[in-house]
Amino acid sequence: MNDTIDDPHSLLGPYVVGAVDEVDRQLFENHLRGCTECREECARMSDAVATLVDAEAVAPPATLRAAVMGRAAQTAQLPPTVVGDAGSHGPRKRRRWPLVGAAAAAVIAVTGIGAVLATADDAPDASALEREVMMVSSAPDAHTMELSLGSSHLVMSERMGGVALMGLDAPAPAEGMEYQLWLVLDDGQMMAGPTFMPDADGKFMAMMHTDFKDVTEFEITEEPRGGSAVPTGEMVAAVSL
Amino acid sequence: MNSQRHLRVVGDAAAPAASPTAPAEGALSRSAVIGQLLVRVGRGDESAFDELYTATAASVFGVALRVVRDRAIAEEVAQDVLVEVWRRAARYRPEAGSGRTWILTMAHRRAIDRVRSEQAHTDRLRAHGSTITGSHDEPDTVVDMAHREWEVRRVREGLALLTERQREALDLAFAKGFTHREVAASLGIPLGTAKARIRDGLIKLRDAWEEER
Repeated sequence: MNDTIDDPHSLLGPYVVGAVDEVDRQLFENHLRGCTECREECARMSDAVATLVDAEAVAPPATLRAAVMGRAAQTAQLPPTVVGDAGSHGPRKRRRWPLVGAAAAAVIAVTGIGAVLATADDAPDASALEREVMMVSSAPDAHTMELSLGSSHLVMSERMGGVALMGLDAPAPAEGMEYQLWLVLDDGQMMAGPTFMPDADGKFMAMMHTDFKDVTEFEITEEPRGGSAVPTGEMVAAVSL
Repeated sequence: MNSQRHLRVVGDAAAPAASPTAPAEGALSRSAVIGQLLVRVGRGDESAFDELYTATAASVFGVALRVVRDRAIAEEVAQDVLVEVWRRAARYRPEAGSGRTWILTMAHRRAIDRVRSEQAHTDRLRAHGSTITGSHDEPDTVVDMAHREWEVRRVREGLALLTERQREALDLAFAKGFTHREVAASLGIPLGTAKARIRDGLIKLRDAWEEER
């Protein structure tokens, strides 16, 4: 069997039947964008899954129709074009460092060079993070790059004003350390991004809102838990633009 | 600075008919009807939405019930899915697949999301041994339509082509919302094997159901 854990093709079956978690789903959807063969196969297999769904048909409670119609009547429809999403972003210039979200631990807000550090110990809402990651990676201008940290990807979208990291099989950082994302600007300045920590399976997800003006490179370092204002640890991965 | 790349432009949902590349459906007329209704719903046609409800609500509710196993929660899931269909209808792209598949796979996925958010993975893995029953619960009321009966029979025949192991893996994924990792863990098989069983099972079903056309 030429299936390997890392081969995105092998996620096709599980993906179609919903047997993937959010990280795998994102990895596979990124793969789908560039793989016509998988897209076609996916459509055909999805028809089979739809047939399985149809076979489960059960008369719904009579209250359902009224509830659905009532809510629909109060729900605005999305316009036909995908993304840009319902005018929530618009053309306005994004603030430089509006929000940073990380999967496991700290949230760091950095303003300019003076680097104000603020951490939150409670994990941010994981599903909110997943939604953000999905927004970025499903953007029409999403640009995916490999990241040498296990089987990982970095996805950036100018339209969504963000960069998302997601991966599998990432090695655990040293005791007491976390990974941290950095944006390297063309003048050499390093802008601090979120910290993140792979789970027991080496899975991780992280997200940062930013524009990409003057950004030349993304780097990941190991930093003490909570993150640093300037890089102090060893660089573990880098992606040049 | 070259980071901004528009890799593709996503077109509007326009063509009312299924694209020529999309495989024709076994239940062709129903699938085509759903696709056309969906396009009308995308233009804000409320009467089309009412018809679309009639055509799909039982399947949407049924799969939610199958996965979440609680009528009240299944009703919530079905409500969310159907409202989402209304909200997103204009973004349905006929060239990417049939409208029936678009709606029903969304329903299945939402049901799985719901069951995952309600139960910790470990809980389900622990409970799995005692809760797994046959591969199909008896539905309360199967919607009384001839083509439904035909379809249920067709599904049963398709499932009969699968090996027991493929059926088992596929059922854990489809009906319990297990990820392939959980399928592998609960069956005590390597991850690659779990993925392959799911995929091979789906391929058999796909072939069986496409051949009938």
